[in-house]
Amino acid sequence: MTHLVDTVLSIVLLSILLSFGSSRLPVLIRVIGFQGIVVSIVPLLIGHNLSASGIAFNLVTLLIRGIVIPLSIYLAIKKVAIRREVEPIFGQHASMLAWLGLIAAAAFIGDRFNLPAISNHVLLMPTAIALLAGGMFVLMGHRNAIAMVLGYIMMENGIYLVGTTFSTSVHHIVEFGILLDVLAGVMIMAVILQNIKQQFDGVDTSLLRTLKE
Amino acid sequence: MVEIVFLIPFLTGIVAFVLPGKGRTLLVLTGAVHLILSLMLWTGWPEPVFPAYFAVTPEGLLSLIVISLLFFLISIYTTAYLKKSNLRSENIFTGSMLLFLSTMTMVTLSDHIMVMWIAIEATTLASAPLIFTHRTATSLEATWKYVLICSVGIALALLGSVLITLAMDVGNVHVPVSFSALTNSARQLDPLWLKAGFVFILVGYGTKMGLAPMHTWLPDAHSEAPSPASALLSGVLLNCAYLGIFKTHKIMIAAGLESFSGRILMVFGLISMLAAATFILKQTEYKRLLAYSSIENMGIIAFGTGVGGLGAYGAILCLIHHSLIKSSLFLTSGNILLAFGSRLIEDTGGLVRRMPRTFIAFFCGFIGIAGLPPFGIFIGELLIVMGAFSNGHYVGAGIFIVSLCVIFAGFTNHALKISFEGYRTAVRMEEIASMVWPQYTLLLTSLFLCFWVPDILSRTITQAVTVIGGVF
Repeated sequence: MTHLVDTVLSIVLLSILLSFGSSRLPVLIRVIGFQGIVVSIVPLLIGHNLSASGIAFNLVTLLIRGIVIPLSIYLAIKKVAIRREVEPIFGQHASMLAWLGLIAAAAFIGDRFNLPAISNHVLLMPTAIALLAGGMFVLMGHRNAIAMVLGYIMMENGIYLVGTTFSTSVHHIVEFGILLDVLAGVMIMAVILQNIKQQFDGVDTSLLRTLKE
Repeated sequence: MVEIVFLIPFLTGIVAFVLPGKGRTLLVLTGAVHLILSLMLWTGWPEPVFPAYFAVTPEGLLSLIVISLLFFLISIYTTAYLKKSNLRSENIFTGSMLLFLSTMTMVTLSDHIMVMWIAIEATTLASAPLIFTHRTATSLEATWKYVLICSVGIALALLGSVLITLAMDVGNVHVPVSFSALTNSARQLDPLWLKAGFVFILVGYGTKMGLAPMHTWLPDAHSEAPSPASALLSGVLLNCAYLGIFKTHKIMIAAGLESFSGRILMVFGLISMLAAATFILKQTEYKRLLAYSSIENMGIIAFGTGVGGLGAYGAILCLIHHSLIKSSLFLTSGNILLAFGSRLIEDTGGLVRRMPRTFIAFFCGFIGIAGLPPFGIFIGELLIVMGAFSNGHYVGAGIFIVSLCVIFAGFTNHALKISFEGYRTAVRMEEIASMVWPQYTLLLTSLFLCFWVPDILSRTITQAVTVIGGVF
C-alpha cells in the first residue's frame, strides 16, 4: 500500500502544476475534483479508519469533495455562460517556477517534521503543504472570482489531508460537520458568483473595486 | 439540556424561511425565549446532553447573555425598521437573523475545538445573506469579500485546530479534543505544534474578529448590511471570534507559553488600533466610522488580553460594554440613514434639532465608545493601561494611549458635525418610539453596570480571567 499512496500523491503534486499553468476553468475544476477524490481515499489506503462507519464516512467525503463540490461550481459556470478562459496574474513561466519552488519548500519543510503516525509515507506532509500553499497561490494569482473559489477549495483539500491522516483523535461526526460547513460555504459562493455575473456582466474581481479605501 | 438554547432559534429560523409574513413575530418571540433560557443557564449551570462537544463556561456565559440581550432589543427595533424600509425578501432576512443567533449561541457553548470551528464558520454562512439584503452592486461586493476573506481566514483556523490535535498526538496526550480538557493537560502538549496551532488560530479567528491587517472585509460588510444586522455583526459576532482566540490563549497560558501568545496578541491589538486611527481621521461615511471603531475596540481587547492580569479583566469589561454601546450606535445609524437617505457624513447634520431623541442615543453612544466616563469602556481601558504599566509594557502602553487620543480626536470631529452642524435651519423629523428605546436600554445597561456590577457577574468575569492572572 505504501507505494500506491505515494504514487497517487505524486500525481496530486503534478496536478497542482496543471492548475497553476492552465488558463481554462474546466481543467481547474477537474483538478480540484481529482484532488478531492484523492484526499478522501488516502486515509482509507493508509488504514486509519477501517471500521464500517469509517469507510462509510470516507465514501460520503469522496462524494462531496470529489463530485458535489466540483459539479456545483461547474453548473454555476454553465448556467451563467461565463467565459471559460481565465488570465492568471502570473504568467506560465512564473507559475512553473513558483511550482518548483513550492514543491522544494514543501519537501524541505515536510522532511523536518518527524511524525510517527505517517513515517511510512514520505509524500504525505509535502503534498498537504503543497496543496495548502498552492491553493493560496491560485487564490491570489487570479482576478477571476471562480478561480478564487477553486483556490479556496484546494486549500481546504490540503487542510483535510492534514487533519485526517496525521491526527486520529477527532470523531467522524465532527469531521462531517466540517464537511457540511465547507459544502455550504461553496454553495453560497456559487450563488454569489451567479449574482456577480448578473450584476457586473463578468466575474473579474477588478470590477469589484468600489469599496476600496 | 443546554443545547436547546441554540436549537430553538435554529428551528424558528427555518420556520421563518418557509413562512413569509410571520418573521417579525418569530424574531421577537425567539429573542424573548432565548433571553429567558440564557438567564436560566446563569442560575443553574446545567449539564449538556453532549458533554464531549458542549460545555457551560464562564466566558461562554458572559458572551451568551450579551448576545441574548442584544438580540432581544435588536429584534424589537427590527420590527419597526422592517416596516419603514420595504425589503424585497423579508423572510430571508428574518430567517437568517434567527439562524445567525443560533450559530452564535452555539459558539458560546461549544467546548470541542472542531465544534467551535464549525460554529464560527456557520456564523459566516448564516450572516452572508444579511449583508446582501439590499441587493445592490456594493452590497454584493461586500458580501463577496466577507465570505471569501472570512472563509479563507477561518480555513487557517481549522488548520490551527488540527495542529493542536497534532500537539496532542506528538505529546501522547489522550484526552477529549476540548478546550477544557486541553487546558487541564496543557503541560504535556508538544509546545512546538501548540505554538504553530495558536498562530494559525489567531490569524484565522483574528480575521473574523477584525484584527488588522486581516480586517479589510469588516468596514464594507458593516456599512452595507442593514443597520440591525450591522449591530449584530459588530456587537456580538466579533465577540464570538474573540472567544475562540481567548480559549486558545488559555491553553497557551496553562502550557506556560503565555509570553509567546501574549506578545502576539498585543502586537496584533496595537496594529489594529493604529490602522483604525488612520482610517477614522479621514472617514467620510458614518457607518464605516463605526466599523473602524469596532476594529479599534477589538484591538483594545486583544491588547488587554495579551497584557494579562488587570488588563485581562479590563479586556472583558471592554468586550461587554463595546457590545452594548456599539450595537446601540449601529441601530441609531439606522435611524440617521432612514432620515437622511445617505451614508455620507457631509449629507447629515443638525441631528440635535432634527431628531432630538435619536440625538441623545447617538451622542451618549459616542461618549461611551470614545472611552469617556461614566460608561464602562472608560474603566476597561483604564484597567488595561494600568495592567500594561504594572507588567512593564511601557512602549505598548504608550502606543495604546496615543492611538486612543488620535481616535478620540477623529471621532469627536465627525460626531460634532453630525450632531450640530447647520442645526439652525434643521426641521424636526418623525421618530418612532420603538426605534429609540432599544438604544436607550442598551446604553442604560452599560451605565448601570459601571456603578453596580451584580455579584454573580463580577464572580463570572473573575472566573473567566483567573487563568490569565486577572485576579485582584
